[in-house]
Amino acid sequence: MIDILLYIVLPYLAVLICIIGSIYRIRKEPMTYSALSSQFLEARGLMWGSLPWHIGISLILIGHILPFLFPGQWNALLSNHAMLLAVEGLGYGLSALCLLGLVVLGARRLISSRIQSVTTTMDLVILLLLLFQVVLGMLTAMRAQYGSMWCTGTTVPYLWSLVTLNPDLSYINDLPHAMKAHIVGAWILVLLIPFSRLIHMFSVPISYLTRPPQNVIWANPRHQKEKAEVFARDEARRHFIKASCGVFGGLVLLSVGALDKIGQFFFGPRLSFSEETELMESKLKRLELTAEQRKLEVERRENEFILVAALKDLDREEGKYFIDYQMQPAIAFKNEAGLPQLISAKCTHLGCTVGNKADKEGRILCPCHVSYFDIKTGTPNQGAPAEAPLPILGWVVLNSKGEVLASRSKTGEINGTIATQDAETAQVFIRRADVTG
Amino acid sequence: MVETQKVDSTEPETGNASTGDTKPALFSFLLERFPIEKMNFHYMVEKKEVPVHRMSWGYYTGGLTFFFFMIQVVTGLFLLFYYQPTVSDAFLSVEYINNHVSAGPLIRNMHAWSSSAMIFFATVHLIVAFAMKSFEKPREITWIVGVLLLFITFTFGFTGYLLPWNQIAVNATKVGLQSIDNLGQYLGPFSHIPVQLRETFQGEASVGQSTLGRFYAMHVVILPLALVALLGLHLFQVQLHGMSKGVDEKTKKTEKFFTAFFFKDLEVWAYAFLALFVLASCIPFESFLPFPLLEPYNALGATPPGIKPEWYFFFVYYPLEMFNFLFIIIASTIVVAILFLTPWIFKGTSRRNLRFIALAVSAYLIVMTIFGEQIYHWWKH
Repeated sequence: MIDILLYIVLPYLAVLICIIGSIYRIRKEPMTYSALSSQFLEARGLMWGSLPWHIGISLILIGHILPFLFPGQWNALLSNHAMLLAVEGLGYGLSALCLLGLVVLGARRLISSRIQSVTTTMDLVILLLLLFQVVLGMLTAMRAQYGSMWCTGTTVPYLWSLVTLNPDLSYINDLPHAMKAHIVGAWILVLLIPFSRLIHMFSVPISYLTRPPQNVIWANPRHQKEKAEVFARDEARRHFIKASCGVFGGLVLLSVGALDKIGQFFFGPRLSFSEETELMESKLKRLELTAEQRKLEVERRENEFILVAALKDLDREEGKYFIDYQMQPAIAFKNEAGLPQLISAKCTHLGCTVGNKADKEGRILCPCHVSYFDIKTGTPNQGAPAEAPLPILGWVVLNSKGEVLASRSKTGEINGTIATQDAETAQVFIRRADVTG
Repeated sequence: MVETQKVDSTEPETGNASTGDTKPALFSFLLERFPIEKMNFHYMVEKKEVPVHRMSWGYYTGGLTFFFFMIQVVTGLFLLFYYQPTVSDAFLSVEYINNHVSAGPLIRNMHAWSSSAMIFFATVHLIVAFAMKSFEKPREITWIVGVLLLFITFTFGFTGYLLPWNQIAVNATKVGLQSIDNLGQYLGPFSHIPVQLRETFQGEASVGQSTLGRFYAMHVVILPLALVALLGLHLFQVQLHGMSKGVDEKTKKTEKFFTAFFFKDLEVWAYAFLALFVLASCIPFESFLPFPLLEPYNALGATPPGIKPEWYFFFVYYPLEMFNFLFIIIASTIVVAILFLTPWIFKGTSRRNLRFIALAVSAYLIVMTIFGEQIYHWWKH
């Protein structure tokens, strides 16, 4: 019985009285339809009380209304754990802000002698009720965790049942007492709106943000000078409010999207056994490759002869890459006479590595800027970006005993021949003498 | 002449400094650029006004460049957590960032996008500052330091490009450094010097571990330190001398630097961040390259086809492909000299004519950057 009174009769009664009473007061006493500002009596305390309170309570109320209006979307949003924590954390922070504001506002009403003279009993009642509401809300949030989550299954359907005139108390029967008191307190506050300063919530000057700038023209020349400054300050303030809203919204979005990722960034990845193994193996492979290349370099610095390939492995169409004495790529082909043909693979244009497959005309292609080089002479084709020919390298062919069978000097003259019985075992080398001269 | 008189009338302080005939020329020059009496919070922040006119948007370009630099610092520090600057590990560590680190691809992507944005806005800032004649006395030092900052920014791009140590990066770096060698043919008896210079720069005969180490040190320590130091001087000068007036005609309206302009600047940054974040989370920077991260560098592998430097080098890369090397060297030397001497060369030029030059230069940069490849092919056939 008492439940029906508190959670069904009281809400309807409160909303009814609120609507009728507010309309009556706005019509009959339009001059009182505000918060009766006391700013000119006391400004410092007001700033430290009113600002935190209003910033906190506006956002908290938005947090109450959103799940009521869009329960499905709200649930979906909070299914992201980071988002849930963000909303809850924000809720705690804003409640604390409200609390701070209320305490300052209350103290101000009670201590400042100037303010006391304009304070009505109703003002104090409202302050006390609001204080109770905030404390009860925080208690609920602490005792029954994740209220932002469970509200869509309890209070939201309860409210909707009231709105659809089909009241159903089963949704809120099992809620903790603090929460139930929070609900009752809310209805009492709604009820008191037309009889208190709370009515000022209907006169929030939202149009302030969008209306065109007002430039007050003073008849008194004394104010002329200040005018521009005041105007600029007013403009800057409006701009600041709007920008702060934007930045706040942006930060919320950013934290939803990125903060947990960034947290994980610092936490660091934890690789699985197979991932870690794979990573380590590829690291080893890369290290081997690097070491090999390093060896090639030092080998070239120290040795007079460098092995290119076995003569039998050389081909006329597909060249074999090797590294010459300057640590530059070069390609080894075999020519018609069965002798090696060694050509630099570093394009004379911009230093790209030239391809190793000869086309029908016996040319190799630099893929970067399309230059064709003749394998025999190294000369580029007409109109190619490369102007200078690729250098033809000298070589020596040694048999298995290390005797020189044939060689090509730097100047291009070829000495010696390779007998067919040696061709199987012969190996092709480059000489440092051909480079340094 | 009319121009300088106008400036003198708006800057009475400069007159005081030049009357000291007994002081040496250099001393009075410095005194005009570093007026000690103005070095206080009141003058440099509270009193500063920003002119409002049709070129006012130009005042935001420098701030945007600075903003993207800050993004580079933050994302760069993030990357530093996981990147390993060795020939064998560099590529794998970048791959690790991409595949395993939470938000790794996003951070890397932001770093890449923001680098391009920083270079873009630095260039725009230079051109706009030129068109607005912001190098006018006593702002010569601001201009010269700004040009140096632009060069540092380009060097950032060049050194950072190598760090992932993939096939394309190493080859492109080789090509870039190799062009130093080409200088040798014009130096006669000193023809060996460019090669020696390049090898000193590389730390070895070819681009290898020593090069990576040097580029890494430059990219993460030397260049940032240099940039921050010069940027400090640049901003100090900007605050000290105030915004240049930007247009020839007299401006009627100004706004306070603090807070009006400052907050507008922050607002522009917020939009820039939004754009950058959306870009970086939606479009991988590499999707514009014909070659993604690809494969790690392999000395014996062929250069990937279609190798090109980053877009911001196109304006010099395509001419380099089309024209004689000596011509390019001489032309770019002249351009650099003009850039550094701008405050003295264009001392008497009206802003209308400066705007014309700036437009012509922008047209060249835009056309060469967007249509460079087509022009190159057209030229070759």
